[in-house]
Amino acid sequence: MQAYRGKTIEEVIQLLAKYKGKVIAGGTDLIIDLRNGKLTSDTLIDISSIEELRRVEEYDETINIGAATTFTQIIENPLFQENLYGLKRACNTVGSPQIRNKGTIGGNIANGSPAADSIPPLLCLDSIIVLESIKGKREIGLEDYYKDNISIKEDELIISVQFKKPDKGQILSFAKLGLRKALAISRLSIATLLELDENNKVKTIKIASGSLGRYPMREPIVEEFLLGRELTVDVTDKAVKVLQQVMGERLGGRSTLPYKRIAVERIFKEALGDGLKRLKGVEIW
Amino acid sequence: MKKRGRGIGLSFYGTGYGNGFPDASKAKVKLLKDGKVGIYVGGTEVGQGAKTVLSQIGSETLKLPLDKIIFISEDTSLMPDSGTAAASRQTYNTGNAIKIACENFKNRLREAAREQLKLNAIHGLTVEKGEIYLEFFPQKRISFKELSKIYGDDNIEAEGEFIAQTIEMDPETGQGAPYWPYTFNACGVELEVDTITGLVEIERAVFAQDVGRAINPHLVEGQMDGGFAMALGYVLFEDLKLEKGKIYNNKFSKYLIPTAMDMIQIENIIVEEPEYTAPFGAKGIGEPVMIPVGPAILNAIYDAIGVRITELPVTPERLIKAIEEDGKKKEEI
Repeated sequence: MQAYRGKTIEEVIQLLAKYKGKVIAGGTDLIIDLRNGKLTSDTLIDISSIEELRRVEEYDETINIGAATTFTQIIENPLFQENLYGLKRACNTVGSPQIRNKGTIGGNIANGSPAADSIPPLLCLDSIIVLESIKGKREIGLEDYYKDNISIKEDELIISVQFKKPDKGQILSFAKLGLRKALAISRLSIATLLELDENNKVKTIKIASGSLGRYPMREPIVEEFLLGRELTVDVTDKAVKVLQQVMGERLGGRSTLPYKRIAVERIFKEALGDGLKRLKGVEIW
Repeated sequence: MKKRGRGIGLSFYGTGYGNGFPDASKAKVKLLKDGKVGIYVGGTEVGQGAKTVLSQIGSETLKLPLDKIIFISEDTSLMPDSGTAAASRQTYNTGNAIKIACENFKNRLREAAREQLKLNAIHGLTVEKGEIYLEFFPQKRISFKELSKIYGDDNIEAEGEFIAQTIEMDPETGQGAPYWPYTFNACGVELEVDTITGLVEIERAVFAQDVGRAINPHLVEGQMDGGFAMALGYVLFEDLKLEKGKIYNNKFSKYLIPTAMDMIQIENIIVEEPEYTAPFGAKGIGEPVMIPVGPAILNAIYDAIGVRITELPVTPERLIKAIEEDGKKKEEI
């Protein structure tokens, strides 16, 4: 086993081209794999000291989060206090303070877990990931990345995740079901991006789920159902039924389905209700 | 829906091995060269506070400040056996042995003092604060330090042994009095059950524990908090997922124990009713502090949702299943 500490992105992509090594940032998943003998590569390339990869940058229309930015950095960044609050909340439910101090958003993506907490909010934001190798830069949609079966080439480095800033009236929310209050792998999670029109009807709705399939994914059928409707108790209950139907088809036969099908109601309503509460300033349900 | 419930659990529990099983603790006490006193017991400190409490019992019996006591419990070449750190027995059994050993040691000190002070007998000699003096003529006194200079550090020592009184139960009838003494406790819990996710949230817990006498109240509370946390784990979280002899939850990412975030502040009440056979009245509470918590939680769940849980742990998934099955049963009726 050999390990390199990259000082620049350029150096890292050269190393990747040469060794096809495994990139390490926080190591919160990788070190466990290493100890369990599950690591296939015998070269580690540490990117945790590259400042360029460890920061959140705000532009006029977009936000760019460097791949080696830790969850703690995101939680503490004022950019995620207001309508991007759902991303902060998701990052805040990752593991424990120690894991949040080390674990990175790029690692959450690269690891490809269906339970990755930070992914559903990023999916609601239609995020793209920026990859770089010696052949150049390329961008792929986060959703496509999962659909294409975790499609990072072995000489590519995740540089950042980017998304368009939501409008002021759009609220990103997140809710998670974990079996304890810290260090809990998500049993299921829901993120929503919600905007209402002047008649209180749903103008924009994006919904993404975690742990309800092989990977975190958008829930277009539920989105479609809610679009243009007022979020009354009845409509919300019906949306839950739609989601239950969709996940039932997707997870059919899995032993975890009966429980998740019931529990999803609480988490879905919590995420959506939180968005509604933040938009209207009152508790709805 | 979120439903609230309250429940109480009670228990009583015997200290020591019980049931006629030989249950003996030994202790050794020795004057060391700098006038300090060494206490040697084979009673293991496993985090429960044995070293602290047993030192306190020695200190109290010898009327000697704690900083003058060297307590050693890790080196079997130096000490007699004091039995296992199990059965909630160290404070009571080894505490008693230390108390007896310290009393014997005080008599050895009085003998040495009589010799050095050229007295006729040992009566009237008080042992206190590292000195031995004649009560009605306090000018006649000698310190531990002086004695240790004269006798060296291997000559004034004493042992003590405590054998617990326990009786084997009648094997035919199962009747008898297997333990002495017993401790008593009660735990009350208020909680909220989420009938959609199956999550149980403990909101308040009050816990009363009879200890005979709290040698160290802070440590007693630590034991009570610890017992509650452990019970919380086995009632709501810890699932081996044992299927056909195979443990599926074989790592701590799957076998969940409560974190500090899952624990709540327990309202602890220490009940003191000194036990006459115990060292300064103190009984063992190591195990009892876990026992009433489970029943209290399960009773509170029943109070909240009207469903009796008969299999532990009550994981969210199991709770939802139990609610569903109960609903079906009620529909059939």
